[in-house]
Amino acid sequence: MRALRIDRKVARFASARVAGMLAPGSGAKWGPLELDDVPAIALPGEDWVRIHPRLSGICGSDLSTVDGVSSRYFEPLVSFPFTPGHEVVADTDDGRRVVLEPVLGCVTRGIDPACPACARGELGNCERLAFGILDAGLQTGFCCDTGGGWGTEMVAHPSQLHDVPEDLSDEAAVMVEPAACAIHAALRVPITPGATVAVIGAGTLGLLTVAALRAFTPAGQIVTAARYPHQIRLAKELGASIVCESGELSRVVRRQTASMAYGDQLTGGADVVLDCVGDSATISGALQIVRPRGSVVVVGMPSSVKLELTTLWHRETSLVGAYAYGTEHLADGRTARTFDLAFSLVREARLERLVSVTYPLHQYEDAISHAANAGRRGAVKVAFDLRHDRKR
Amino acid sequence: MKGSQPLREMRLAGRAIGARGRSMRTRAKRSVGSVGFPYRAPEVPRGVTVPELPSRLEANYETAWAREAPARAVRRLLQAGPLRLFVKIVADPEIAGLDRLADFRPAKNEDPPALIFTPNHHSHLDTGLCLMAIPEPWRSKIVVGAAADYFFTTRISAASSALMLNAIPIDRESLSRKSSDFAKQLIDEGWSLLLFPEGGRSPDGWGQPFKGGAAYLSASTGAPIVPVYIDGAGAIFGKGMKRLKPGRTKVVFGQPLPPVEGENTRRFNERIELAVTELGDEALSDWWGARQRAAERRNPALTGPEYRGWRRQWALSEHRKLGKAGQRTRQKRTWPKFD
Amino acid sequence: MPRPGFVLEVDRSTPPTLFWRGENFSLEKLPAGRSRVIYAPEPLPAIKDVDAAIRHALANPIDSDPLKALMFSGMKLTIAFDDISLPLPKMRRPDIRQRVIEAVLDTAAEVGVDDVHIIAALALHRRMTEDELRHALGDRVYDAFAPRGQLYQHDAEDPNGMTSLGQTPHGEDVEINKRAAESDLLVYVNINMVAMDGGWKSTATGLSSYRSLRHHHNVNTMRQSRSFMDQHRSELHHSNWRMGKVLKESGPRIFQIETTINTDTFPAPFEFLSKREWEWGAKERATYLATTKALNRTPVKLARKIFHSIESPHQMTSIQCGEVEAVHKITTENVWKQQLVEVKGQTDILTMGIPFISPYNVHSIMNPILVACMGLGYYFNMYKGKPLVREGGVVIMTHPTYPDFHPVHHPSYIDFFEQVLADTTDPAVIEAKYEKQFAEDEWYKHLYRTGYAYHGVHPFYMWYWASHAMAHLGRTIVVGGDPRAVRRLGFTPASTMSDAFEIAQDVVGPSPTVTHLHTPPLMVADVS
Repeated sequence: MRALRIDRKVARFASARVAGMLAPGSGAKWGPLELDDVPAIALPGEDWVRIHPRLSGICGSDLSTVDGVSSRYFEPLVSFPFTPGHEVVADTDDGRRVVLEPVLGCVTRGIDPACPACARGELGNCERLAFGILDAGLQTGFCCDTGGGWGTEMVAHPSQLHDVPEDLSDEAAVMVEPAACAIHAALRVPITPGATVAVIGAGTLGLLTVAALRAFTPAGQIVTAARYPHQIRLAKELGASIVCESGELSRVVRRQTASMAYGDQLTGGADVVLDCVGDSATISGALQIVRPRGSVVVVGMPSSVKLELTTLWHRETSLVGAYAYGTEHLADGRTARTFDLAFSLVREARLERLVSVTYPLHQYEDAISHAANAGRRGAVKVAFDLRHDRKR
Repeated sequence: MKGSQPLREMRLAGRAIGARGRSMRTRAKRSVGSVGFPYRAPEVPRGVTVPELPSRLEANYETAWAREAPARAVRRLLQAGPLRLFVKIVADPEIAGLDRLADFRPAKNEDPPALIFTPNHHSHLDTGLCLMAIPEPWRSKIVVGAAADYFFTTRISAASSALMLNAIPIDRESLSRKSSDFAKQLIDEGWSLLLFPEGGRSPDGWGQPFKGGAAYLSASTGAPIVPVYIDGAGAIFGKGMKRLKPGRTKVVFGQPLPPVEGENTRRFNERIELAVTELGDEALSDWWGARQRAAERRNPALTGPEYRGWRRQWALSEHRKLGKAGQRTRQKRTWPKFD
Repeated sequence: MPRPGFVLEVDRSTPPTLFWRGENFSLEKLPAGRSRVIYAPEPLPAIKDVDAAIRHALANPIDSDPLKALMFSGMKLTIAFDDISLPLPKMRRPDIRQRVIEAVLDTAAEVGVDDVHIIAALALHRRMTEDELRHALGDRVYDAFAPRGQLYQHDAEDPNGMTSLGQTPHGEDVEINKRAAESDLLVYVNINMVAMDGGWKSTATGLSSYRSLRHHHNVNTMRQSRSFMDQHRSELHHSNWRMGKVLKESGPRIFQIETTINTDTFPAPFEFLSKREWEWGAKERATYLATTKALNRTPVKLARKIFHSIESPHQMTSIQCGEVEAVHKITTENVWKQQLVEVKGQTDILTMGIPFISPYNVHSIMNPILVACMGLGYYFNMYKGKPLVREGGVVIMTHPTYPDFHPVHHPSYIDFFEQVLADTTDPAVIEAKYEKQFAEDEWYKHLYRTGYAYHGVHPFYMWYWASHAMAHLGRTIVVGGDPRAVRRLGFTPASTMSDAFEIAQDVVGPSPTVTHLHTPPLMVADVS
């Protein structure tokens, strides 16, 4: 089988970091990522199955790994060498089309009894991500024992697999996993009916979050900061009430919420701000436009950031993270698995349109550079298309 | 001949010392003693009386040279440089009311109309203050009426007054025919005039009654009078003060007063004095209050209260407190700047 | 004797024509044989003795007793004056307002009036800074009244500062400044730069509030005003006059003082702007070349500073006072005398150079909304009779249209540009959907009342000002404008004048006729 792999090569990570700083996505060329013919992966357990990826998305967290800028926090949570790729739609050997739910929780790790989080169905919060029969890895795509979506073959636990309905295209199916993340983020803090919600960033995650907010919360105004024309169009189509440029967001929120201002800090502000970028500037910006006792949800993966937290203290703002998925409690009292909600969102919001372009595996350098510059190049989601790979 | 006294002594000394002294004597004789008439002033023969020549000083000092181009150029440098700097350091004037001269500003390439500026007078600084405050184009075309019996008594003081200030000698006792004709001629030639109608610096810090010269000149030439009030100069270097006491001053220009057909000089002079009085009130209070009091003729007189003695002096200190001299700390206006 | 305005037919030997381009200018060649250029009349001679004229006017008012007879000791006197939006550019000191107000106060002092308030009648405009007040009123008036709190600015959002005087028969609320309403005499000191100013618009607009203004500052009124420079065909003025009637019946006694100024607009070295191109001597040509070349290399911030520091040599040509309507009639005649140019027939394309200044950006930035208002609001409406450009025609303006906004003066403009214009440019939709939100926004109110910001609703008025032109025109093209900003305004960007003519032909057909409004100075075309 052929797969892109990342090995623990310190010099390579360093050069990727430098290259990535100069041009986002160029870590693919100079970094630790290599396309190799690799031996088939042994099945970690009896019930595990082999699957063959059809489409495999490129996610923001993958890009930061490739560019060597991931947080050191992840070091004990990954195991080398691994094949990235966790947004996967694949074929099983018995001819089913499945979407992978990549979190490697207690069930996949053969840990019984499961940890408290897994027992509650909150898979994303699993407390045993480095233990059990698998080597460390928070998700498939970061673990040396499972392979990943950026290869022609990988292994998966049946509990990870969700059948794709016949009428759903591969492009739609590959959006299920990111959509699940977005739904989880949208439901992370309770949103009251008519609340004003601001979404920072209109990349894949931002757009999906807008769609999720519209679909699963009673939010009133959804204000989105976007940068590029296609993002503005899509954000509007997916349910944003107002789409503005990022520099305009605080003015829009001020006007929508009829706030006053102390300097750059709004006196009132949005009830909830979802930051789908996650750097110092956006989180600080979010804290400035959220109302007292409001919540800032960090959806985009942050790294080490510098924040002025006086406002958090003074205005009793909540700063919460939102990662992955599990079980959701909806506003109407229902409880559902995030992935089930994601399937319905993908179908109803026709999210396949977010897959802008696909690349064969061997053009991985172009693919990653395209993904890293997706907004500027008019794209949203970039994916690998492995359906025609000879090595499958 | 005072100059020959040391020489004679030297000659005597040489005789006492002898040969060595002789050679010295010869040298001395050659260098000085050989310069005689016509290199030296002739000695007056005994029994002859030389008739006294008319004085070329005081009112007779000839100042035409100071109005020629070279002197004007030098004066412009002196006024823009040392004089301005000196006045700024010593008196730091605030200048107000220049907008009242706007209607008299000439069009481009035209000469300014002649104006007669009539400030109150408390200090020698007044002239410098006015020369700094009076705007172009008048500043470079102004002559200053200066007391002939004060500024023009010696050649050096006369020349420097003429050069530095473009002063012309004015008889202060009575406007003599000569100086008034001369002033009229200058006004007709387009020169503006700075005259102190009080005729001299105030002896006690309060003003003196105005003399009619300026009114007469204005009425007979048609040049409007510009009342000017100078506040604070008396406290810096008033009459009788031995040392400068630097402080701050204010120069306020009033609405020019053109002569009115058929008005006699005395009336006109009263009008000028009243205008300066009103300006004085305006400078020490505010314009509206001054106008209100002017309507009721209640502006405090420049000449101070009627009573004499210590009470007059007492009132002066109260009066000064209102003006610039009373301001100890500079009030800096802060205002946001947006750009 | 100043020459009257005239219309020049452009032929092959006509030199290129001057266009304003914001903080710069350019010379553009207009197509020969089918273009004409409208030149304004030369500045009328000024009154020689201004102060005497003022005194004479106050003593001999029209349809009113002399000012002195209207005053009595112990009365409440309020003097209101036009704000920073007039005249443009600011005039050299002393400003006419200072001279007139000093004369009025002199009279008041003679009579023994103590209770005097002086109010800047700025309606929903920004407050004036101390320097600006000092410039308009002079240091003497400022120093005498401001420290006592008797010189201040109208505050239309002061809950205790406004008085309602009732409604017009059309149901229009009439609300004016409380102090003015409660005065025994309200003296309004105006500068009439264009025919739109003055009359009842002074008091009924300058001292009123949003509640009152919305009745005439709206899309419908502006579309019914053909043009708002012609009082008799302007719904804007009809509404103001109706309010005037209410003011007359239940408001204070009003003594209106109106002044007109000549169009001597630019001092050295910019005099050449007002000169006809074929009369440019070597000096004018050299100045033009030197200034344009220098300005091309000047950072725009600095260029703005330079231009906004210009003090215009405007001079007063007339002063009349007394009863509002009678006074305004004479004032309007005097304005026409200076500004009217007879023009025969309409044109397909109207071209105009947009300057660095509009009434709403003195000492500030000419933002894109003001560019639109200046071109389609003011210049387009500089007509009497019919619009200069035919229905479905094209306006071509020249202006860099940087998307720059003054953050202190124009906060609501930024939001209007970013949020409202991004949604729609249709004035009627904008009015219905957004006006109330902006007008009632507490933050804008706060900035208007305590800072130096235009009221939240002000950008809407700018847009309404242009609404008649927007409905009338087939297309608006901005030459040399920032393309994104121009598109946001709903206009078409073009890089050169000839490109603009090409684009215009799509709308008006081949070989269109072109008319250029040659400013400065301002003029009004009497189109037959």
